[in-house]
Amino acid sequence: MKIDAEKCVGCGKCASYCTMRGSIMSFGRNPKNPAKIYAVIDEKECVECCVCLRSGVCQQEALYQPELSWPRIVRKNFSDPLKIHPETRIPGRGTEEMKTNEVTGRFKRGFYGAALEMGRPGVGAWFRDVEKAAMALASLGVAFEENNPVTKLMTDRKTGQINPEVLEEKVLSAIIEFLIPQEKLPTLLEALKKIAEKIDTVFSGDIISRVEKDGSISYLKVFQEGSRFLSITGKSNVGLGRPKYRED
Amino acid sequence: MTHTLHRRGDRENLSGDYIVFTMSAKGFNEEGSAEKMKKFLKILLKYHPVNFGDMITGNCYVKSAEEIWHNINTTSIIHAVFTDEVTVSKILRELRARDLGLSVVVTGIHETTEECCQEAGLQKHTVEHSMGIFGDLNRLPEEAVLQLSTMCGHAMVPANLVLRMVKEIKKEKKSFQDAALELTKPCHCGIYNPARAEKLLRRLVPLMTYDS
Ligand code: SF4
Ligand code: SF4
Repeated sequence: MKIDAEKCVGCGKCASYCTMRGSIMSFGRNPKNPAKIYAVIDEKECVECCVCLRSGVCQQEALYQPELSWPRIVRKNFSDPLKIHPETRIPGRGTEEMKTNEVTGRFKRGFYGAALEMGRPGVGAWFRDVEKAAMALASLGVAFEENNPVTKLMTDRKTGQINPEVLEEKVLSAIIEFLIPQEKLPTLLEALKKIAEKIDTVFSGDIISRVEKDGSISYLKVFQEGSRFLSITGKSNVGLGRPKYRED
Repeated sequence: MTHTLHRRGDRENLSGDYIVFTMSAKGFNEEGSAEKMKKFLKILLKYHPVNFGDMITGNCYVKSAEEIWHNINTTSIIHAVFTDEVTVSKILRELRARDLGLSVVVTGIHETTEECCQEAGLQKHTVEHSMGIFGDLNRLPEEAVLQLSTMCGHAMVPANLVLRMVKEIKKEKKSFQDAALELTKPCHCGIYNPARAEKLLRRLVPLMTYDS
């Protein structure tokens, strides 16, 4: 995002709509007219989410979205949920994951789905940190979700390495999605602690399971036994989609 | 796409926060799904949601209901937010009876949504929980601010805006209700809960000070 220095009056109102916490804006002074100040966005920190522009808060119409080329376009693809991802064909930065699972059969019994949403909530993440997490997960032998925008940026899915051209790009968040066999959950939970120490941001963790035949959710026990946090809220697919995936 | 997943708060304030939504499964039941999603939205609107929207168009505080309805296409994701479990049970019962053939997801306290499913004669198929936040937690705003900002899963409701709303309420420039609506607007999908936001602001504002 950029600010037109001629139009901007330096009121600072747009800063409240910036998703990057604190301020990524500074002020400049017009050399021809030193009494006039204007706001400048730190382009290195801006994730191109477009929230400031869409808010309509700037009465001077000074905010504008310049055309973005590779690799900077990656920022917008991941940060602005209105941009339909070319890979997933859905708006946003994730996939259908469990939302359509009764139809797609993506998550089967015996496996858990998991995701690390790097940079969430509201901190943002550099792809160099996304790569650190992806490589740590790859070393556990996880299966990365094929139809996920982060997986598409990997140059090697066995190691979790990401295209070096995007490592210095920052996004509002990027979701690493994968499958693990149920018995590997304790190993994953230990790995999350180590990933947390290595990165310069935050991530939110998700876990997904097919409900067992007796109605139970098998991972609950693992979290209870390890006295680990697990939210009381969450998402439930209530099984109304057709055609139903045929399970063995 | 875990946009409704990581809502934070205590059991009491989360007990007034439910989202029901649908989308097509690409390559499986995409064909004809736009008409089904229109029917889905019509059903949900009968139950007076506090917010609704489509990821394609926007939420009902920014776009008209007609525009949202007309723009629905096969890549839409239709959401509506409700504040009590009795309504959620009724909606699930009606969706079961109408048998639209699209996947339906309900977000809320798991124990409560389980009861809603049972009352509607449904069984949960697949579930998802949040494992919480990891990493450099010093980068996060205060928990009370996070509870307001995380109701938009795409992080379109900035912590900076929450703090500005607190300031404007304190200065009596905005009512609690207007500030809650201001926070609701940037959440494009329509999953932000303005009723819960108002309650959270009433709790937060007396605790905050600001440097004038
Ligand atoms: S871009 Fe607009 S809102 Fe932001 S400081 Fe300049 S005039 Fe004010
Ligand atoms: S595009 Fe997003 S990150 Fe960049 S200045 Fe605007 S709100 Fe901030």
